[in-house]
Amino acid sequence: MSVTSRPAHYGFAEHWLPRLVLAPSFLLVLVFLYGFIAWNGALSFTASRLLPNYEWVGLAQYEALFASERWWVAVHNLFIFGVLFIGGAMVVGIVLAILLDQKIRLEGALRTIYLYPLALSFIVTGTAWGWMLNPGLGLEKLMHDWGYAGFSFDWLVNPDRSIYTIVIAGIWQSSGFVMALFLAGLRGIDDSIIKAAQIDGASLPRIYWRIILPAMRPVFFSTLMILAHIAIKSFDLVMALTGGGPGFSSDLPATFMYQMAFTRGQMGLGAASAMMMLVTVSAVVVPYLYSELRRSRHV
Amino acid sequence: MGALAIKNVTKRFGDTHILKGIDIHVDSGEFLILVGPSGCGKSTLMNIIAGLESPTSGEVHIADRVVNDVAPKDRDIAMVFQSYALYPTMNVRQNIAFGLETRGVPKREQEEIIARVAKMLQMDHLLDRKPGQLSGGQRQRVAMGRALARNPKLFLFDEPLSNLDAKLRVEMRTEIKQLHHRLKTTIVYVTHDQIEAMTLGDKIAVMKDGIIQQFGSPQQIYDAPANLFVAGFIGSPSMNFIPAHLASEGGAIGVSLQSGEAACFVPLPDSQRFARYVGKRVIVGIRPEQWDVANDGGGLDCKVDLTEPTGPDTIVFTQINGIEVQARLHPRDARAPGSVLHLRPDMGKVVLFDTETEIRIG
Ligand SMILES: Nc1ncnc2c1ncn2[C@@H]1O[C@H](COP(=O)(O)OP(=O)(O)OP(=O)(O)O)[C@@H](O)[C@H]1O
Ligand SMILES: [Mg+2]
Repeated sequence: MSVTSRPAHYGFAEHWLPRLVLAPSFLLVLVFLYGFIAWNGALSFTASRLLPNYEWVGLAQYEALFASERWWVAVHNLFIFGVLFIGGAMVVGIVLAILLDQKIRLEGALRTIYLYPLALSFIVTGTAWGWMLNPGLGLEKLMHDWGYAGFSFDWLVNPDRSIYTIVIAGIWQSSGFVMALFLAGLRGIDDSIIKAAQIDGASLPRIYWRIILPAMRPVFFSTLMILAHIAIKSFDLVMALTGGGPGFSSDLPATFMYQMAFTRGQMGLGAASAMMMLVTVSAVVVPYLYSELRRSRHV
Repeated sequence: MGALAIKNVTKRFGDTHILKGIDIHVDSGEFLILVGPSGCGKSTLMNIIAGLESPTSGEVHIADRVVNDVAPKDRDIAMVFQSYALYPTMNVRQNIAFGLETRGVPKREQEEIIARVAKMLQMDHLLDRKPGQLSGGQRQRVAMGRALARNPKLFLFDEPLSNLDAKLRVEMRTEIKQLHHRLKTTIVYVTHDQIEAMTLGDKIAVMKDGIIQQFGSPQQIYDAPANLFVAGFIGSPSMNFIPAHLASEGGAIGVSLQSGEAACFVPLPDSQRFARYVGKRVIVGIRPEQWDVANDGGGLDCKVDLTEPTGPDTIVFTQINGIEVQARLHPRDARAPGSVLHLRPDMGKVVLFDTETEIRIG
């Protein structure tokens, strides 16, 4: 009797156990991620100010957003930051990875040194770079103390330059990560391919440029995705380094959204800017996910 | 003219000696096989010839020129790697063209060369595919084509067939042999397959532990192996090593063989060369095909333990002097397990080895 009932019992556990285990996290994701995205979407169509209300105003918040000079500064900054940060971290990371790939001694130590910034939070990075770049405390003062009185490096307090300090700190923090990804990729290249290219008469730069880096295409795209999405979400680095200032010259959409929604009592406007960021992130990530998923199904 | 000469080359990685004094001389147009067990330093030696590694000491000559300080690209060699080492993001055409391009061959000429190579290796239809879209055999062909695109003085093949299945391996082996007949370029070919070694080589260098154990023609190595290792490594099934006493009986020097109750004394021809060893233990090396069935009642009565029919021959297993011995017989002569066979070794071909040094005697 018990023998015959056992398969049914197993079937029940096999059928329900995974669902039961996954249910809480699924529920949490559903409510706190997609639920709040939907709520935020709803708020962006209301006249919410300090607190949410549901006075329907249609697209008025979006109109206000697109008319706001500060929003366009943030968008423009995101463009500068995105391009320079992604490009810079990529170039520095790839160069470091190639150098480390030359079978040098102390590789373990060097890798740790380069990867270490990744273990810091953007707040620490921002604060530390804030001190270093502060004209009264850091680099400029140091140079003055050493006697180079003419030296001036005031990007942190210069509205036309402040966004570039964020770029520098961002590259510093993220290039070790890019290096680790590319180093793993480079190590996957068969040694004899390089030997074959040497016999074919190619110089080392040419071997990297024509053979090895093209083979890194998948690594390149994954890294690009991750960096793009770090760039769009960047918030803590700006808050710690410049606070969006001077004025609002180094605002990014994320800090703009935070300012509007939580300190200036413009929740509807903040919600509208958050929706714009969501759309941007989706525009980057969805095609990537789509192509990845399609590929894995084909394989 | 010497195509390749390696003079007392050694290689150390840190404290480990990989190559311990290699000497090789290959004449122009010869096919040299480097054969040996895994890890004996074959690839290391190839890399040294190619200039991808530098020797710790010794000299490498290519076409009578010392090339120790010459870069790989200027040594006028082409190499096929065990893993093929095709450039993964380039299609077959670009793979072949890459080396020509770096050497500044004009575009038109490149196309002619690619067409010639593709025709020679019958891979015209593959030219626009990426390596990932090719089968193992096709990749092997492309790797070969890349080497053939130039007319080097020396081809280096590092186990080019070891990733192929058995049938394709035999086909490609024949193709390589035909290619060599046609091109008459000097080839150094690494393998650990002794059949490839025997069938392809003009000369064979058998390596073990970074030392060349024997260097000679395939027939020399087969008939007169320098030591126990070479004797066991070349030939399949492998040579039987029978421990025996060397004795002098009625003026003839010979060995006594024993199987179960039966025993016989087998005199050796030209036996004065073994005089020193009379009364000592030696190892008698007899290849499986060097046994005959003595239908006249002579020879040693051996009980058949097991038979393995291979088609053209049947391998018969028996015990002689306490050792398992294989004899390759005509199926007509073989007997079922349990029955008795009169086996007689072809003493003219038998070789003897010193028990201690494992070197061939006489
Ligand atoms: N860069 C290196 N550093 C240290 N040891 C090495 C290095 N390259 C090879 N070796 C060692 O040298 C020995 C010979 O290697 P090699 O690749 O020449 O063997 P092989 O005869 O080609 O073997 P296989 O038939 O498996 O290809 C091996 O024991 C290997 O571990
Ligand atoms: Mg090898």
